[in-house]
Amino acid sequence: MKFNSVIIGGGLAGLTAGITLQKAGKSTAIISTGQNALHFFSGSFESMEEAPQRIVDLFAEAGIGLHYAPGVRLMPMGTFKKATLSLDDVSLFPDPKIGHKALIVSFTGYHDFFCDFLADGLEKQGIQCRVNMLNLPELEMLEKSPSEMRSVQIARAMDHRWETIVRELRILIRDEDIVVLPQVFGLNDSSILSRIRQSIPAQVVFVGTLPPSVPGIRTQILLKRRYEVLGGTYLIGDQVTGAHVYDNVIHSVVTQNLGNHFLEADNFILATGGFFSKGLKSNPFDISEPIFGLDVEQAEDRNDWYNPEFMREQPYMKYGVATDPTLHAIAGGEPIKNLFAIGSILGGTRTDMGMGGGLALRSALAAADQIIKQAEQ
Amino acid sequence: MKHQEYTLSTHNFEECMKCTVCTAYCPVLQVNPLYPGPKQAGPDGERLRLKDPFFFNVGLKYCLNCKRCEVACPSGVKVADLIQAARIKYDTSPVKWRDRLLASTDFMGSLARPVAPIANAVTGLGITKTMMDAMFKIDHRRTFPKYSGRSFERWMGRHEKEQAAFPEQVAYFHGCYVNYNFPRLGKDLVKVLNALGVGVQLLEKEKCCGVAMISNRMMNEATRNANQNITALTKAVDKGLMVLTTSSTCTLTLRDEYPALLGVDNSGVRDFILMASRFIYERLEKGATLRFKPDYHKKVAYHTPCHMEKLGWGVFSEKLLRTIPGLEFTMLDSACCGIAGTYGFKRENYEASQAIGQPLFDQIKSVNPDVVACDCETCKWQIEMSTGYTVMNPISILAEAIEV
Amino acid sequence: MSINEFDVIIIGGGITGAGTMRDCAMRGLKTLLIERSDIATGATGRNHGLLHSGARYAVNDPESAEECIKENMILRRIASHCVDETDGLFISLPEDDLAYQQTFVEACRKAGISAEIIDPELAKRLEPSVNPDITGAVRVPDGSVDPFRLCAANMLDAKLHGGQVRLHTTVTGFIKEGDTIRGVHTRNLVTGEERDFYAPVTVNAGGIWGHDIAALAGVNVGMFPAKGALLVFAHRVNNMVINRCRKPSNADILVPGDTVCIIGTTSTRIPFEECDNVAVTPDEVNLLITEGAKMTPSLSSTRILRAYAGVRPLVSADDDPSGRNISRGIVCLDHETRDGLKGFITITGGKLMTYRLMAEIATDAVCRKLAIEKKCETSETPLPGSEEGSYEAVARKIWEKPSMAQKAAAARMGSHAHKIMTRDRLDEALICECEEVSLAEIKVAIERLNASTLTDLRRRTRIGMGTCQGEFCACRAAGLLAKAHGCIEKEREDLKDFLQERWKGNFPIGWGDTLREAEYTQWVYKHVLGL
Repeated sequence: MKFNSVIIGGGLAGLTAGITLQKAGKSTAIISTGQNALHFFSGSFESMEEAPQRIVDLFAEAGIGLHYAPGVRLMPMGTFKKATLSLDDVSLFPDPKIGHKALIVSFTGYHDFFCDFLADGLEKQGIQCRVNMLNLPELEMLEKSPSEMRSVQIARAMDHRWETIVRELRILIRDEDIVVLPQVFGLNDSSILSRIRQSIPAQVVFVGTLPPSVPGIRTQILLKRRYEVLGGTYLIGDQVTGAHVYDNVIHSVVTQNLGNHFLEADNFILATGGFFSKGLKSNPFDISEPIFGLDVEQAEDRNDWYNPEFMREQPYMKYGVATDPTLHAIAGGEPIKNLFAIGSILGGTRTDMGMGGGLALRSALAAADQIIKQAEQ
Repeated sequence: MKHQEYTLSTHNFEECMKCTVCTAYCPVLQVNPLYPGPKQAGPDGERLRLKDPFFFNVGLKYCLNCKRCEVACPSGVKVADLIQAARIKYDTSPVKWRDRLLASTDFMGSLARPVAPIANAVTGLGITKTMMDAMFKIDHRRTFPKYSGRSFERWMGRHEKEQAAFPEQVAYFHGCYVNYNFPRLGKDLVKVLNALGVGVQLLEKEKCCGVAMISNRMMNEATRNANQNITALTKAVDKGLMVLTTSSTCTLTLRDEYPALLGVDNSGVRDFILMASRFIYERLEKGATLRFKPDYHKKVAYHTPCHMEKLGWGVFSEKLLRTIPGLEFTMLDSACCGIAGTYGFKRENYEASQAIGQPLFDQIKSVNPDVVACDCETCKWQIEMSTGYTVMNPISILAEAIEV
Repeated sequence: MSINEFDVIIIGGGITGAGTMRDCAMRGLKTLLIERSDIATGATGRNHGLLHSGARYAVNDPESAEECIKENMILRRIASHCVDETDGLFISLPEDDLAYQQTFVEACRKAGISAEIIDPELAKRLEPSVNPDITGAVRVPDGSVDPFRLCAANMLDAKLHGGQVRLHTTVTGFIKEGDTIRGVHTRNLVTGEERDFYAPVTVNAGGIWGHDIAALAGVNVGMFPAKGALLVFAHRVNNMVINRCRKPSNADILVPGDTVCIIGTTSTRIPFEECDNVAVTPDEVNLLITEGAKMTPSLSSTRILRAYAGVRPLVSADDDPSGRNISRGIVCLDHETRDGLKGFITITGGKLMTYRLMAEIATDAVCRKLAIEKKCETSETPLPGSEEGSYEAVARKIWEKPSMAQKAAAARMGSHAHKIMTRDRLDEALICECEEVSLAEIKVAIERLNASTLTDLRRRTRIGMGTCQGEFCACRAAGLLAKAHGCIEKEREDLKDFLQERWKGNFPIGWGDTLREAEYTQWVYKHVLGL
């Protein structure tokens, strides 16, 4: 199969590039080894210093509501973190004193949402808290399973039964001005969030849970759907195992599933992520990029890959492939003419500012723009 | 090799990051709380089973073997293989007679075929279904596939000379369904391939691929079949033939389950086994042409069978269908239909099967196509029974649309 | 006797202290044990978990070997739920002198250790992970033991016989009357409460820290900290203990334990200041992997879970400050005869698995000082949890059709697993998925087994000991602990401490899947949870 661009990696960066290219009439294919880090998405894209209208529009066209409001958000551990560009799920506030009285609601038997930590965090801001655990017959089936009462399964039940929650909350609420709920709503239908908000006489703050992230999965589903509606080919559960490169130009790639049916393209985009997604491979001796053998910026001595203090910034999380200023990936010191690298595979991810969502978005647009422009020349 | 340069573990279970993504995509978890889920049944459970087989959880039998956990895994863990292998290794309970019955497709097929009209009438009767439910716990609500009076192999026998005349040849692994239940699909494939100038021949001796035997733990029978099939496939490959298939499940079984679960080496033949839709699409991509009926029109909704999703070859069936002018194509959301082969016939699973497939059935009804396209025969039975819409293999749709 | 008066005070909550406490309590003494942290936090919590057959010492130290095999047999009887009777192999590789095998076997037999030379092919069938090139194999009654369970069971038995335990309490000084120790000054490190306790005899069972405790009492016990590094692999690769049949050296024992296996160990002298913060060096990691892979080649490509190190208290056999002459056996010092200090005993040296004998020796000494004549019964009486048969039998007896978590609890708690029986279905929820630890088991650990931090829970229930090293279970359990003690901020700090401890063990082997897991853990805690 031949495309204008083949994108290796189907996460946030890959999908953003794919959507942008498809919209400009370029045929693309995305290859993804399984699902991606959007499944652990907190809901905020870090490192966005200015309102990116283009990104807001791109997401809106996919049916995903984003808002940009520099401020703080309430985190699952009861702490507050700076955030700017976020999904509509996430409430952003100018400062941590987000209200006067809060009702924190969760479900009996659900261990991945931390009501006590939230109450403590809010009380430190002078907000009186009340915690209530709902016992819903809809979740009875999940309670029977020792391990599977997870956010996604609750969300599936809630997609059909969100009115039950609203009913219960309206009975429970007294004079609270804040209601805190876990992010287990709107897995398949994001309008549920606004409908819940409209039905509750208080500000509803949805706070994250242990993975998987329901807003993250919804974002992934909607971005992928948008990509496919625009004509993109999304190959899931596949992996690029090799490439045909001549004269520093990539001709085609080989995948595990398609075997000798190579994917040819004029342009290639590497969006394979960091260590978790195996975009970078490591062993006791070095860190490498497994598909093209690209140059990886890393410390020589393995001891320097880590900071012995867990909570501090970790050097290895900033490692990535070397590129030239136009995001062309570099191998053996030479930029490859038609290979871009975007997202967390890039070195220099500011992990103190998050998982690299902002970097993924910006680099994806930069690479896609270049491809579109070069075709016009 | 330098120490720790890479790590190896059975079915990659140690590469699991415990990220829980697989649990979000397991169809069984959505309907059955007794199933421990792919994470617990797979990589979590494996460490405990290695400590002591006492830690084997019988709940693993609820796994559909749909492989969707593997498709979703960001780490490349063969979660489904891990679970099936654990069932094979640690479940020492005897195989039920009912399961033997359901899994012995060659046997049942050869019994029913000579008396097909009677067999079909009988299995359609309410009283038969009630009896099968009471005696064997085969759910009475399940519709049984009809048997054909004439096997596909018999038809091929009659057309052998004419097929051999084509300068280019391929072999066809037809599978039980085409042979005993629906030879029409095989004939459709021959029609299309002939239109491309390619003649079709049977394998020297084909047995059931064994997928139902594997999932019902009839390991000796499955391995016997596998070895016989490998012999037949090798003979074909040695003659320089590609081996085409029309069933996504047979294909996955021959290519992946044989080495992963049976320990049968298929390295000499694996790359020569191709689904017909891929073969035909690749031909068209390279410049071959088919003549289509000028007034052909069909609204088609394509359902990706679970095993097709795992193969990653749904793209070929999709692109092939899209080459047909006049075909209005809709891609259904990739979801499990719930039947999982013999799984959905068993009384203890029937309701779960139907609950799993419900979102798919609802979407089909809302799309309201003329026909549902799908490369798996058990999906076809399930969708036809549960929605009333007709299901056709993409090859059959293609055969219908071309002019020869 | 007032509530602050006891017959004997024991300092140190490791296996030696716990064992001594049990023996004393069983002989009717009113016993108090004081421990500055949690149970088994010293060498007891950082060793190999090997139930020696004694074979390793047969050639060079036949006395130790005899001690070991006797205690090995005793522990199998009295601590069955803490012991995994795996048997062991002493293998010879092509580079090993096969003649040593003969010497080895004879020495074993002399010491009363059953040592059976078996055909290498049989050895490979018994233990498929072993190097296929082995030239010889000897089968011995090695096993593995869980030191946390053993320590907890001893303390539990002591408490059932009236003993008292004070954790998180440090000895700040001794109450001396002339040349007699009459008691101890203590401070509770959690509440800050200062309290004095009195007893005619005090036992110093503080491991390497016993050196400082003795100094506080005014006597010198020559001790030299010797660090030993070990690696835990992510799953149980072998089922029998595998040893090298040669002169004992570094990294030549691979011990299977519960869901993992451990390769060890090394021996390096370190200064006292490092004892509370030992780290594993890259050279040690290298050595452990290289030597381990010689015995079991698959270790070269098996995921490593963590690296850790413990500190052995090597006791000087004489007063030479260089410590060249190290005593290999059990050292029991009666400071009255040695130093003219009455009412004070130090019990040290030895190994984890001879703890019961050490305790017997120490308790005999205590009883002599108190002029009490009571026989030791610890070798005949099963520890709590070990009264019944295999954990499989226990699980089926309690639950008929036990769930995974119930099976796992039976394996951890033996017959005491019935404590986690619950009518509330919600209590069956899994907190730790890797190791199958249910909410019920966590509740028992908090309410009945003195667990007040995540590391305490880890020691008692194995949460955080699986492949994810606490990714999910840590914060789930943190929520439960916070509910129990009521202080959320403390629990956030506890969570950070727990993660730091896990990280300490991860970055020395921070490559491959371990590095991937570390990246994921960073995401979850910093960016998803906002810790």
